[in-house]
Amino acid sequence: MSRVFITGMGVISAIGNTTAENHRALIAGNCGITKGANFPSRYAGVLPFGEILIPTSALQEQLRVSDTGVTRTTLLALHAFKEAIADAGLSPSQLMSPDTALVGATTVGGMCLMDQMFDDANKNTGGSDFLSSYDCASVNMFLQAHYKMKGLVNTINTACSSSSNAILYGARLIKNGFAKRVLVGGADSLSKFTINGFNALHILSPEICAPFDRDRQGLNLGEGAAFLVLEGEDVPRREEAPGHRKVYAELTGYCNTNDAYHPSSLSGDGPYLAMKGALQSAQLSEDRIDFINAHGTGTENNDEVESRVMLSLFGTPPPFSSAKSNIGHTLGAAGAVEAVYSILNLVHQEIYAGLNFKEPIPATGLRPVQAYQKMSLEHVMSNSFGFGGNCTSLIFSKA
Amino acid sequence: MFYIHQATCISPQQTFSGTKIDLSREYESVDNRMKVLEPPYPDIPDNILRRMAKAVRMGVGTAIPLIQGAGDHPPAGIIIGTANGGMEESVKFLKQIIEYKEDMLTPGNFVQSIPNAISSQISLLSKNKGYNTTHVHRGLAFENAVLDAAMLLKENPRSSYLVGGVDEIATYHHNLENLAGSYKKEAISSRHLYETDSPGTIAGEGAALFLVNGLPEHALARVRALATIHSEEESVVTRQLQDFLDGHVASGDEKSSVAGAKPDLFLTGENGDNRIAHFYAGCEGILDREIPVARYKHMSGEYPTAIAFALWVACQLVGGALKLPSHMIKRGTVPAAGISPVYKNILLYNNYKGIQHSFMLISRVD
Repeated sequence: MSRVFITGMGVISAIGNTTAENHRALIAGNCGITKGANFPSRYAGVLPFGEILIPTSALQEQLRVSDTGVTRTTLLALHAFKEAIADAGLSPSQLMSPDTALVGATTVGGMCLMDQMFDDANKNTGGSDFLSSYDCASVNMFLQAHYKMKGLVNTINTACSSSSNAILYGARLIKNGFAKRVLVGGADSLSKFTINGFNALHILSPEICAPFDRDRQGLNLGEGAAFLVLEGEDVPRREEAPGHRKVYAELTGYCNTNDAYHPSSLSGDGPYLAMKGALQSAQLSEDRIDFINAHGTGTENNDEVESRVMLSLFGTPPPFSSAKSNIGHTLGAAGAVEAVYSILNLVHQEIYAGLNFKEPIPATGLRPVQAYQKMSLEHVMSNSFGFGGNCTSLIFSKA
Repeated sequence: MFYIHQATCISPQQTFSGTKIDLSREYESVDNRMKVLEPPYPDIPDNILRRMAKAVRMGVGTAIPLIQGAGDHPPAGIIIGTANGGMEESVKFLKQIIEYKEDMLTPGNFVQSIPNAISSQISLLSKNKGYNTTHVHRGLAFENAVLDAAMLLKENPRSSYLVGGVDEIATYHHNLENLAGSYKKEAISSRHLYETDSPGTIAGEGAALFLVNGLPEHALARVRALATIHSEEESVVTRQLQDFLDGHVASGDEKSSVAGAKPDLFLTGENGDNRIAHFYAGCEGILDREIPVARYKHMSGEYPTAIAFALWVACQLVGGALKLPSHMIKRGTVPAAGISPVYKNILLYNNYKGIQHSFMLISRVD
């Protein structure tokens, strides 16, 4: 089966609108979590969020999208998608080729427009422009149509592990011969829907989140999007050809499992099996992982379970941290955004600090990385665990 | 691609294994809507059943007999396609948000609204810690679940997987689709769905799940190949069908396997919507005149994963468990009484809203 390489990346998050901006912010240890207020919710301006401080109308203008029915989630996806294809140097004809696939993930989809949706669903209106935009598929249906893509198109929703599963599915399309290159990624925007859902579950932190800290109070929701270009084995061979592509990293391992314990909290079996399965698929022993981009949401349950699992699987875990302290939890985008961060770790041979950590969790005593540092890295693991027990671990390796 | 060993279906017709499967009696639409005949769910604990959204109930209800049937060889994973798995619960939660002004909300609707609630509830109730995913790509959500299963079985040939398509139609979602012009404005009966010449169709819902693996022994049916495309042009779709029939399938599939299996029944998702009828007519035109054409949306109604219902019907036909009822036949003759023609290769074509198309070839296992 073909190896799978990452040849292009694009990302937009609360700490930057491009991969380069995100990279600079990670080095500087910037936190993009604010009490912003560009979305309609009573919690806007009250609770901290990893908000992208660009109004939807400005995004629409920047991206020159005049179509009706395009949601903020779709605009964020388009922003990251555009950067990724430009970065990989993909031509319009390559994008339209039947062997170029698109696998995107989202959990909010068009439900960032909850008020319109409520009016439409209750027939309070004659129908808004967004009738076909509320579902998750609307994001990738737009990208497919916009770029006239003819290959396989899919949308995945496994809650907070959605875009890690999009990466996994895209890689398998290449390995099984259903595509030569795949645009994989995810997008989610802040929505009254998720904000109130997580708030009703009492896991939104009133303060900026503190992953793995003893006194953590929950997570901050964020928004963002990231897309990666995955290509099969023939990519490196093109290097001698003019206009050759860069190869950022290789996706060497992945595993998807279910915790089968509770709809909204983890026991540990799912995360353990996902991390172990990813190591097995990469044919790596535990000691070969140099850094873990942890799921680390900052909730009571996740951080303790993830710590316990890292201890039982690795004995002494490698350095780890969570980017949730920079950008919040971007839900369906998190796996893809953090895949970009993991690849930046490898490309630049460096690790970024987890923010706001003070004291370790007494039961586990683990400390995330607390300062930017250069480090020799071969293999980085990235974890995503979601509601419904959906757990996925990915392993990226130095190209 | 793979073999189907067991199949269950909850639909607007008498299809659930717990009752007697019978498609000869036609259950009709009411107010342009086909609602599933929900069975009792004796194996779901009451306290859990009470909290389940309908889509979750149907999904878990169809999964339980398959998991029980798998016995000592539990599936290695669960793959669900659902476009609107949680939309009804989402709007209920939104109603709470608005009524209580974002304060003091209960999370039940939110947790049930997540589309992966179906696959995760199945894994929770069966303690399945394997592969678990939810494809939500609207009219191709189930097709992506099928492709996922095909890839998993190539990667792990000795395993079996549970793969299914589930969608419900409920009030809020029905309202959205109605406003979008998806359903007919005039009231019709599903019996006359294909005689209408107007835009729109009738609403439907259902769940069809399949236990699949790579072994032909004792299989119900074989899924040979799958092709999907997004296009609004009939010529692109008919060209895709011609390529498919010629065996030009994605290189991940075995080409020769398709070219050698001439369809003897064309089962289409024609749905009475005169805006997209030309796609079906165009595809029928590609096939030899003697190949009979049958339809199923008058039994299932239209919904994004309705092709899972068609796959269930195709399994029953190639397996010989069902005779093709005359109300399904569009072109060709009704087999004489007493004679049960055994279809060897059934070609499925579905078209969701004139944009998302799929072809699937299902074969008898000899």
